[in-house]
Amino acid sequence: MQSPLEQFVIKPIFPLHLGQYDISFTQSSLWMVVAVVLTTLLMTLSVRGRALVPGRWQNIAEMLYEVVFGLTREYLHEEGRKYFPFVFSLFMIVLMGNLLGLIPYSFTYTSHIIVTGALALFVFGMATLVGIWKHKLHFFSLFLPSGLPMLMIPLIIPIEIISYLSRPLSLSVRLCANMMMGHTMLKLIAAFCASLVFLSVGLKLVGIIPFVVNTALMGLELLIAFIQAYVFAILTCIYLRDAIELH
Amino acid sequence: MSQTPDELGQKIKEARDKQSPKPAAASTQSGGGKALRAATDLAAALVVGVVLGYWIDRWLGTKPFGIILFLFLGFAAGFLNLYRAQTGQNDKNKG
Repeated sequence: MQSPLEQFVIKPIFPLHLGQYDISFTQSSLWMVVAVVLTTLLMTLSVRGRALVPGRWQNIAEMLYEVVFGLTREYLHEEGRKYFPFVFSLFMIVLMGNLLGLIPYSFTYTSHIIVTGALALFVFGMATLVGIWKHKLHFFSLFLPSGLPMLMIPLIIPIEIISYLSRPLSLSVRLCANMMMGHTMLKLIAAFCASLVFLSVGLKLVGIIPFVVNTALMGLELLIAFIQAYVFAILTCIYLRDAIELH
Repeated sequence: MSQTPDELGQKIKEARDKQSPKPAAASTQSGGGKALRAATDLAAALVVGVVLGYWIDRWLGTKPFGIILFLFLGFAAGFLNLYRAQTGQNDKNKG
């Protein structure tokens, strides 16, 4: 039987090499392209009518827009306008990755730590650069909580720095682990169902139990796909806010 | 009636604040989601601490004291992460 982890194997579609680097166009790249194209189509075509009473697609587009706009407004206030495109792009690429991955035979690129890690490092770098650009050297007071006794300073500063550095790791691992866990579980239970129905003689009817469980799990995965994209957007906002406001 | 752009901006701001109250604090995260967030926050800080300690050891030749010290610092940072996530210091706007 196939391993439940086999779905995460990267397969090249057009093998491509640049020097010693393998830059093949893989199925992971393909689904990223699909995500970008779909997002672009959704956000442009659906609002073309500019109807006052939105249709179905326009409603979806506006809902997504408002979720992220609300976030940037809540955490970054007026400043949030500037960062809205950044946060929205991140939200959409994560959301599309999570959702498209739920289509059978597709590929979930957000289940790869290299993808989520790159996104998280991008957020981390962006937040740090914004902070340094806005506050210059004063930015590093982020690592020094106010009202700290002198004696504690050499202890607290490394702790704060480690805490700060752990953000991209935590952000990327959370998303990747969620996606990988969900998809492995779906595959595992589906395989269990299939083996009961096709292989066993006396237990054919019992196969309905994993089938029902998997159906419920699919709904849960759909929810997790949204929540994880939402959490990614929230944390991006929080990191940006910390850089802007220096708590 | 003439207004300076600043006054107009102030008015727009007031109207906007009145029109859209802050969106209700989102509590979409389930218990399991929170637990997973806590776990990754804690583990990530620990890993960063150990990696930093390892590098410092290699750099300064202080093996094994750097890794021991930074393991504990990483642990402390992990708990700091947990504390921030739980007390909502990260989301102070939500009051």
